[in-house]
Amino acid sequence: MNGFAEMIIKTEDIIVKTIARILIPFIQLFSLYVIMHGHYSPGGGFQGGVIMGASLVLLFLTHGYEESKERMSEKAAILFSSTGVLIYSGIGLLCLLLLGNYLDYGRLSLILNVDLAHARSLGILGVEIGVGFAVMAVMFSIFLDISTGGIEPGEEKKNEKASTR
Amino acid sequence: MEVTLLIQATDDAFQVMEKAKMQAVGILDTATRLTSETRTIQERKLKAIFKGAHESQSGFLNFVATFAILIIFWAVLSGKFDAFHMTLGILCSLVIAWLSHDLLFANVRIGDIRVIVQRFLIYIPWHLYQIFLSNFHVAYLALSPRMPIQPEIIRFKTKLESDISWVAFANSITLTPGTVTVDIEGNEFVVHALSKKVADDLNAGEMEDRIAHIFMEADHIYIQDVLDVSRIFSALK
Repeated sequence: MNGFAEMIIKTEDIIVKTIARILIPFIQLFSLYVIMHGHYSPGGGFQGGVIMGASLVLLFLTHGYEESKERMSEKAAILFSSTGVLIYSGIGLLCLLLLGNYLDYGRLSLILNVDLAHARSLGILGVEIGVGFAVMAVMFSIFLDISTGGIEPGEEKKNEKASTR
Repeated sequence: MEVTLLIQATDDAFQVMEKAKMQAVGILDTATRLTSETRTIQERKLKAIFKGAHESQSGFLNFVATFAILIIFWAVLSGKFDAFHMTLGILCSLVIAWLSHDLLFANVRIGDIRVIVQRFLIYIPWHLYQIFLSNFHVAYLALSPRMPIQPEIIRFKTKLESDISWVAFANSITLTPGTVTVDIEGNEFVVHALSKKVADDLNAGEMEDRIAHIFMEADHIYIQDVLDVSRIFSALK
């Protein structure tokens, strides 16, 4: 079995690589736009998160694992996915603590010091940010797991040692 | 007896001369080595200073330029200019600029961005005119009853240096009717040309010259280049 780094084969096509390099910041900003305007227009946390995850997948496919591991790693993906779920459930539980139902955003007006409609809007925004985080990280880690056969970066050395013994 | 003495004296003289020669060679060697060492050290120091300054400067400039471009992109997408949405936009652009400022402007040198953008904008009308001309040529090829096409694959080495200029050149070739960039192998372009005239136009290299002029590459220094760059360097000083 090859090393972890060689499993994601990067493209040698300079055109694809350069265009991807230039487009990735715009794709990422577009994903954040989709998340932030989810309560006005089509889109929302899931869609934005998928676009963000796709931009990372594009980066890894075009630039390879070694060059892009500083931007996003397996550990960061785990951290982000659990942070996203924490934001989501945290807002839901906050509404419970404020004597409302789970995810009853109207209750947030008590602590945010704004009127009811505004509190609902802000609550939805917060939940969408959480969903976006979780989806982005999970999309990325699914890609990494599929393309590397589920081996974590540290593990491949252990495997090599075991095979040499 | 005297002859023996004479021979011995000559031998001694020769030995002394040999020693002196060896010493002189040794001294010269040391001198050369020292000079070259000091020179490499100085060069390395200069390079390090230049590189460090270059990196920090261009890193910050890249960040600012990426942020400016992204905030414009956000404004175009969003269309809402109230304080809440603009704050969100600034935050998002900052985050993305921080994450990927080295992606958008990789391989761009100090202060070049303005010059490149300016020259690129001047290049676009010329390229549109070329597309216009080639359109007529391809229409003539398609409409004439004999259909005088001579399709061929041409390969040529390019003098361009950076990936962005290769991509600009390849896409310019593809956008011009009659020619399609098939591949870039190393620094060799593989281009499919529809007729002899189109291939000759490409081999004449005017488009490549203009691309090299935009990105200031391949020893393509005009007087205008020096004037443009000197202004920026004096501003940096």
